[in-house]
Amino acid sequence: MTRFEPKIVGFLCNWCSYAGADKAGAAQTPYPANFKPIRVMCSGRVDPQFVLQAYEKGADGVMILACHPGDCHYKEGNYRATQRHRMLLRLLEQFGIESERCRFDYVSAGEGEKFVKVVTEMVETVRFLGPLQHTRFSN
Amino acid sequence: MKTAVYFCSCGDNITERIEFERLKSDLCRDSEIAYVKPAGFLCAAEGKQFLKNELLAERPDRVVIAACSPREYEKAFMQVLAEAGMNPYFLQMVNIREQVAWVTPDPDQAREKACALIRAAARRVALHQPLEKKQLEARTEVIIIGAGPAGLKSALALAQAGRKVVLVEKTPVLGGMPVRYEELFPNMECGPCMLEPVMGEILHGEHAHNIEILTLAEVIDVAGYLGNFTLKIRQKARYVDTVRCIGCSECIAPCPVSVPNEFHNGLGERKAISLAFAGALPNVPFLDSAACLRWKGKDCELCRKACPVEGAVQFGDQEKVLERNAGAIILATGSTLYDCRKLPQLGYGSLSDVYTSLEFERLLASNGPTAGSVLTKAGQAPESLAIVHCVGSLDKRHKPYCSGICCEYAFKFNHLVGSKLPGTKVYHLYKELVAPGKEEFSLYRHAADSADSQFIRYADIDDLQIRSNGDGKMIHYRDADGREDSFHAAMVVLCPAVEPATGSAELGQMMDVATDRFGFFEELHGALDSAQSKVKGVYLAGACQAPMNIQKSISQGMAAAGYILSELREGTRLQVDPVAASVNEAACSGCHVCRFVCPYKAISYTADGRTASVNALLCHGCGTCVAACPSGAINGNHFTNDQILAEMEAILQ
Repeated sequence: MTRFEPKIVGFLCNWCSYAGADKAGAAQTPYPANFKPIRVMCSGRVDPQFVLQAYEKGADGVMILACHPGDCHYKEGNYRATQRHRMLLRLLEQFGIESERCRFDYVSAGEGEKFVKVVTEMVETVRFLGPLQHTRFSN
Repeated sequence: MKTAVYFCSCGDNITERIEFERLKSDLCRDSEIAYVKPAGFLCAAEGKQFLKNELLAERPDRVVIAACSPREYEKAFMQVLAEAGMNPYFLQMVNIREQVAWVTPDPDQAREKACALIRAAARRVALHQPLEKKQLEARTEVIIIGAGPAGLKSALALAQAGRKVVLVEKTPVLGGMPVRYEELFPNMECGPCMLEPVMGEILHGEHAHNIEILTLAEVIDVAGYLGNFTLKIRQKARYVDTVRCIGCSECIAPCPVSVPNEFHNGLGERKAISLAFAGALPNVPFLDSAACLRWKGKDCELCRKACPVEGAVQFGDQEKVLERNAGAIILATGSTLYDCRKLPQLGYGSLSDVYTSLEFERLLASNGPTAGSVLTKAGQAPESLAIVHCVGSLDKRHKPYCSGICCEYAFKFNHLVGSKLPGTKVYHLYKELVAPGKEEFSLYRHAADSADSQFIRYADIDDLQIRSNGDGKMIHYRDADGREDSFHAAMVVLCPAVEPATGSAELGQMMDVATDRFGFFEELHGALDSAQSKVKGVYLAGACQAPMNIQKSISQGMAAAGYILSELREGTRLQVDPVAASVNEAACSGCHVCRFVCPYKAISYTADGRTASVNALLCHGCGTCVAACPSGAINGNHFTNDQILAEMEAILQ
């Protein structure tokens, strides 16, 4: 039997976490190709419906990576993102989606290693959970 | 729609992991991609030329560049599109170097990931809208907050250079602190006289038409950045028309109400309608509605009856909220004194004839509550005076820094008391003495050489105890060598640490200007740029930045004016980035959620409060409001919901 390969999308803010991913690249630190990035200017741009639609379109896990508290390029977009993430977790619970499938974390522009760590952990966690069963999700 | 994909091999950096031909055949199965072409180093001059020639020859509608991080070369490639006659926003970059080739050891996985990301970019770019950068002329007006020496001199300098200036002052008077001092150190110059010519120029001089003076006014809101600030200013009612009033002061004497005069630090009284002190400018009384009988239900109009000018006294005057635009702001809000009540052993607030230095300045001043006579509460000329230096200074329990001005004015007090009341014994109790500068030694020398002066060094302020003793005070002390003794003084003057003016923290927060650990506005750089804050377009002048003397305050005010004249020249253009939010007015429900989440105050509402609009100049394009809008009425240009969702959907296919 082939190993389950989860599909993970990650919303990366342009200034910190996307730059952190670039840093991991510059250091040539490998991480699973299951993770696919989507660049947004700020984690505050991540509309909760993006996350819900990601599951609907086949994602097994979604990541939102932001600047550290106090470091947001736009001052406080990352605070909005954490608030929305907390709200999302409660909503996902009602859909029967495990909270581990939606991970929020802080990755600064210098934290290439942390980027690799959180992405690798996420892929392993979701691989362990298995494919997302979204029967309750579909019409 | 013709979407072109250009694949940069980056030498071998990308092709080492991602085989081009196989990637191309995978991608070409996608009907949305017209063609996929390889290139060597797209970022090199030849690469950019190749791209430009390609675009001119192929005339694609949209371009995807699969190469390195967009953080590196996106702007350069946008420029190439523009040179080829395309809208530069018809580009989407895919980072197949840092985020695929360099981090995915398995070539099949790398190719598949690259393929998914390029397809997603192609879907996304098809939805890109043509956007345009706009340019606006920067505003060159300047708003100066605080009309002390620093604010006044910078206002005058800017006005003389032809700039429009709004001078916002919290009190009813101009001049800040020095106009309340009889004489100034180090040269014993008359305080009010020194600034009077400057204030005269500002009020009535050749360039006065360039300066709008708003007294009794405070800034309540700020939005914007260098070249484009909008400030809301609340101006309290003065009840006396500054234009009509002829400054005769006839209105003051008949007023039946007297209250403590805050401009004499509460030592004297003023009427409900009053000048702050004799000679205060502008020479227009103000009416204090908290004291006036009319606001207590009485029908008093003695002041209006006494006024010889029709309509100068206006009981119907109202508080106003004004909006002013400017390209730059100077903060010149000054300083105040550390609260001496925090050192109860010194008796301030509990013993009579114990004064702060500011109160003592008023006692010495001919426009002060005693018209310049120094007398004890019992009406006696003090035969001895104790001046306590370093009150709350050089003390980590209070303020660890030296304020730098206190010794100087203490020696000034010594000099003034010596001339007003010859033979008065003056004790200086100090922790450290400082008098740097080319003139400053002379007042110190005077004091040190005087037979009537005595210097006592203490090690800790807790080694001083001031107690009541008959008509005067008994000062018990342990000196720095450990000797304990005491002496009698009729009057005590405390020289407290200088700290930021009340309200600095709130103003800093409003402006996003950081304050340091002592609450002073933080400069961009202590040595290079002490007259600049860390916010572009907001400059610092005077003691709001650090404790300082008048000379340095004025120099810093002039420095701030200089920065503005060099950085914000007439004709400076501001770029308006099209990657900003915009509101679909028909869909806006008027819930105001966007306004609260915007970190830049870029969102305002129509007068009826029903429809939001985004000021593109203030918007930084973060998209927080777009995600917050429950009606989907806000569009995040270049990061629209459709674009992001199309990209995401393609990635997940």
